[in-house]
Amino acid sequence: MRYCWQAVGLVALAGMTQASVAATQGVIFNGNVTATCTLVINSNGTMTVSAGLQSMSSHNAGGSPGSVALATTGGVTLSVDAVASPTVPAGDTTPTTWTPTYSSAGAHAISETGSSTPLTIPGLSTVSVHLTGTKSGANSFTSGAYQATVVLRCE
Amino acid sequence: MRSIFLLPLVAAALASPVAQGQSMSPMRGEVSSFTDAFAVRVYPSNPYGHKIRIDVRVYDQDFQPVKAEVAPNSFMLGSEASRPVLVVIPFDGASERKVRICTESVPFPGEQTQIRAQICGKFLGQRRS
Repeated sequence: MRYCWQAVGLVALAGMTQASVAATQGVIFNGNVTATCTLVINSNGTMTVSAGLQSMSSHNAGGSPGSVALATTGGVTLSVDAVASPTVPAGDTTPTTWTPTYSSAGAHAISETGSSTPLTIPGLSTVSVHLTGTKSGANSFTSGAYQATVVLRCE
Repeated sequence: MRSIFLLPLVAAALASPVAQGQSMSPMRGEVSSFTDAFAVRVYPSNPYGHKIRIDVRVYDQDFQPVKAEVAPNSFMLGSEASRPVLVVIPFDGASERKVRICTESVPFPGEQTQIRAQICGKFLGQRRS
């Protein structure tokens, strides 16, 4: 019986010794995700002229917006630039007001706007880019090829 | 001996912030310089499945062009590829200068309504004396 208690004591002592020797040490990992933005153009847009010949737009019947895939970590701003130097037919000598706009669906739901939009959260979205050319007064669009470039900026 | 051999590889890996599908990295940065100019290295990349032309431009805060040395400023980049571009911006007498460095591309040219994708990074250069 006496040996039995001694054995129990030794086992308990061994356990305490092991507990006092064992130690833990945390290994720290640091990471930093910087602001990133990727734009991948899926398709360009198409403009058609209105029945009244005073609007040429991707909103008109038969027209289509440009489509852009956007991926970001957040902390960036999306915007479009005013159209510079569009190509118009030689017969079109009257001024046109070009208005680019965009909307977004997905992680970033943005109603159609021409202003810049901060993207605060991360995620994937599909951006639709529209362009509308407008004639005023008695001016109208003429037959021929029109071409314009819209700058979609992520910064 | 082996660790000496591995050191340059590890350093190169840490110095390369390129991620697949990234149009340009980094997009933010602050640089201190003891000279009349400061330098930024950016990495434009091509996320498309085909080769595209990429232009790198430098603008001020009002999107007016800035005279800077960009090497190379225009180049063709293969699918899923990335390459470094060195941008050297003069202080022009100022103690600090904020610029935008933009990667621009028109991946599908020749169509009626083209979209030019522009990814701009904001960088601050500070001159130390």
